[in-house]
Amino acid sequence: MKKYHLGEFEELVVLAIGILNNKAYSVTIKDEIEERTARTVSLGALHTALKRMEDKGYLKSFPGDSNDERGGRPKRYFEITALGKKAVQHSRDTRAEFWNAVPKTILQSTLAVR
Amino acid sequence: MMANKPHDPPRALLAFFRWYCDPAMLDYIEGDLKEIYSRRLKKSGKRTADILFVVDVLLLFRIGIIRSMEGINTLNNYGMIKSYFKIGWRNIIRSKGYSFLNISGLAIGLTAAMLILLWVQNETSFDRFHAKADRIYQLFSRDLDNGNLTAWGYTPALLAPELIQSYPDVEDAVRQRVVFFLLKAGQNRFNEMGAFTDPGFLRMFSFPTIHGNANALDDDAGIVLSRAMAIKLFGTLDCIGQTVQVNDNDNFKVTAVLEDMPQNTSFENFTFLLPWSYFTKLGWDENQTWSTTNTGTYVSLKDPNDAGAFDSKLNGLLRSHLGEADSGREVFSHPLTKLHLYSKSENGQLTGGRHETVTMFSLIAGLIVIMACINFINLSTARSEKRAREVGVRKIAGAYRSSLVTQFLVESTVLVVFAFVISLILVKLSLPVFNLALNASLTLEFFQVDFWLYVVAILLFTGIMAGAYPAFFLAAYQPIKTIKGTVRTVGSTFSPRKVLVVIQFTAAIVLCICAVIVHRQIQFAENRNVGYNPEDIHYEFMQGEIPNHFDAIKSELLASGAVTSVTRTFAPIVWPWGTKSGLSWQGSDDADKTLNFVEYGADADMSKTFDMQILEGRDLDIYLHPTDTAAVVLNESAVSAMRLSSPVGEFIRDGSGKNWQVVGVVKDFVIQSPYTNVSPMIIHGWQDRYGVLNYRFNSNKSNADNQRTVEGVFKKNNPEYPVESNSAEDYYQRKFATERQTGKLASVFAGLSILVSCLGLFGLASYLAESRTKEIGVRKVLGASSLRIVTMLSTSFIKLVVIAIVIASPLAWYFASNWLDSFEYRVPVGVGVFVLTGLVSLLIALATVSTQAMRATLADPVKSLRSE
Repeated sequence: MKKYHLGEFEELVVLAIGILNNKAYSVTIKDEIEERTARTVSLGALHTALKRMEDKGYLKSFPGDSNDERGGRPKRYFEITALGKKAVQHSRDTRAEFWNAVPKTILQSTLAVR
Repeated sequence: MMANKPHDPPRALLAFFRWYCDPAMLDYIEGDLKEIYSRRLKKSGKRTADILFVVDVLLLFRIGIIRSMEGINTLNNYGMIKSYFKIGWRNIIRSKGYSFLNISGLAIGLTAAMLILLWVQNETSFDRFHAKADRIYQLFSRDLDNGNLTAWGYTPALLAPELIQSYPDVEDAVRQRVVFFLLKAGQNRFNEMGAFTDPGFLRMFSFPTIHGNANALDDDAGIVLSRAMAIKLFGTLDCIGQTVQVNDNDNFKVTAVLEDMPQNTSFENFTFLLPWSYFTKLGWDENQTWSTTNTGTYVSLKDPNDAGAFDSKLNGLLRSHLGEADSGREVFSHPLTKLHLYSKSENGQLTGGRHETVTMFSLIAGLIVIMACINFINLSTARSEKRAREVGVRKIAGAYRSSLVTQFLVESTVLVVFAFVISLILVKLSLPVFNLALNASLTLEFFQVDFWLYVVAILLFTGIMAGAYPAFFLAAYQPIKTIKGTVRTVGSTFSPRKVLVVIQFTAAIVLCICAVIVHRQIQFAENRNVGYNPEDIHYEFMQGEIPNHFDAIKSELLASGAVTSVTRTFAPIVWPWGTKSGLSWQGSDDADKTLNFVEYGADADMSKTFDMQILEGRDLDIYLHPTDTAAVVLNESAVSAMRLSSPVGEFIRDGSGKNWQVVGVVKDFVIQSPYTNVSPMIIHGWQDRYGVLNYRFNSNKSNADNQRTVEGVFKKNNPEYPVESNSAEDYYQRKFATERQTGKLASVFAGLSILVSCLGLFGLASYLAESRTKEIGVRKVLGASSLRIVTMLSTSFIKLVVIAIVIASPLAWYFASNWLDSFEYRVPVGVGVFVLTGLVSLLIALATVSTQAMRATLADPVKSLRSE
């Protein structure tokens, strides 16, 4: 199933866009991920990921408003396309399959060795 | 813009970001950067915000965000240049014929130029490999010779030791003297050329050693061998400490083995070096005077800038040792690096020599490349009509003139690069033949920086030479005219194209005439009546037991029937060893004392052995006339130089008061260079200086048989030495080597230049014929004969070639007579050469042009008129 390949970071980005719902542009996406995962996201990594996924057709973007803080530069809002939705869904299903396949005993914390 | 506002991120970094960022994303990301920056500014202050900004910008520098090389609104013309290459390539493919002519012409030109450059590079590399090359000098002597100042590379043997002792600015001075010795190791024995040198020789010159070091000659009992000699004597290079017997008498230990002398050294090809102390031990050092010049002297100065001052010190030294008789004698230093190219004395200055040939051929290389470029220029401008419309459309679409020029330059460079690759292959392939012809060992060094520097220089030069004019020419078209189709390039009477063709052919014809004259000069000298018959004359040096057993050898040789005549002489008949001046005779004046005679000597049968003609008196014969040991024979030149009306019976005195009676006059014979006049010559009957034993093979028997018999006689009487049987004729032929080489080079490059010119002419003719197809069709329909049409098409070109011949003849005459001036014995330059070369080049041009004209004429007019 090479069709819907999403990297771990990419998956987070897509989900963050989903969470932000219509308010998703790079800075808010960055904040969202940083807040929820306690890791720093560089603009470089984020923009590369956004561009790549837009090229793949998982995201689409449109220019938005601006403000003084941004020195008059427009924001660029992102939203998930139908294909993007299928891709995250696929990613989630794949994981779920894996989770289900693992015997319960292995992952129960009380039974784990040490 | 204002200076940094307090809340602005670092401007330089922002500019950097703007420069590299993909324009499509620039605005958004810049906005993001600023938003985050101002947030951080509020939260943690400017310093932290700045640092984090730097990090952000650096992390943004990654694939996907950096602009691509050919984006929209980019800062370079990458896309345009790419299109130039594409269009250029399509043009090459579309007109294969012209591209072929262009590329092959350029390739031939570049091949010739590269071969010459390689050769020139080799010539200029002579003697430069020594580490101290820039401060080593050879000392030359200068004095009057027959009233002319002459310089020669020999100095008194006493000079070098005195220099080391009394001149602090001299780092070292070494002597060097060529010698032939028999070297023996076990059963292996070889009689070869080597040299006596002072111990510092190997320290001054950096000849690469295989075993041993530069101090090898410090040992009085040490000998240094060349690689070839070591292999010959011992079969191995590992022979340090082995014993070599020299001169049948003395034992030496090998202290070093040298690589064979590189080909780019001015030294003779020594196979061994012996310490000077042996020279002294042999007693050859006795009777050295300050007026005898017989030793090569080399000095290395501590400071090379001192050479001028050093020369005057040298002369002061010389003055203090020389007597009145040598008041004109001078010594001067000549840089080692100039030794090869500037070695010929002209009025006592070393200004002549090989650099003349080198300059000449560098010029020829340039000329041939220019000729190839002219082809390119002519073909491009002639066919410019085909490109005119393209230029018009480009201009209307908004192309700048400069971008059109760039386009055509790119196209020409593509062609040049093509041609260059082909010529590299051609050079690689022709190098072995070239080396063979030149007796050189040139190589193409692909892995040297120098080589690639030359390559880039050649490519740029040729690309611009060939491309510049067509580029500006084409780019200057007016778009309206080209679109309307009113551009006409054929016809104007004084078009640059015609001028270029004339230049091209002028150069080619000059080269051809010069090549023919070089050949005629060589032939002229080869056919010179040398005054004796070198055929069948062989000689042995008086080595080993030959002097002691001479009588036995002579009678055995004659008795064997293999040899018809035997004569001992001072030196080989092709190579005199000494000169003499300061002679006086009845009626001589002081000026005659400077008259320089070639000194020679023979015992008997000289005229018989060498097949010379005695004009007056008789030949020397010390056996028949014992008084002949005090007699001399003169040659014709001597008689006329001495103004003697009846020479036989006259007495000649030398400075020391010795008297000789003239017993005969021999017809002039060429013993020195075949290109010089015969010098006055004095032939002694003295007995004490015989250096060579000459014998003439019996021509009624086969040479191989004679050789075997002679070898037997010498083996028996002189068993230690190998029999050499040197051929006088071979030696004589070698005197033509340099000129033959020049001749070969000249003719090859003259041929190439004609070929290149004809390629261009061929292209022009075929284009002209093609563009006049309709006209020819109409003429034919109206009843013109084929011959008339061919004539019409050819005359315009032939006219140009005729003009070229007219211009070329005086030029060639000038160059050729300049070259011939360096020879005393030279061929007269007649009108014949010019007429002949002119006619031949006219014929070649006619053949080239008329094939194209013929093709156009023979085409069916119906076809040419129907198309529209």
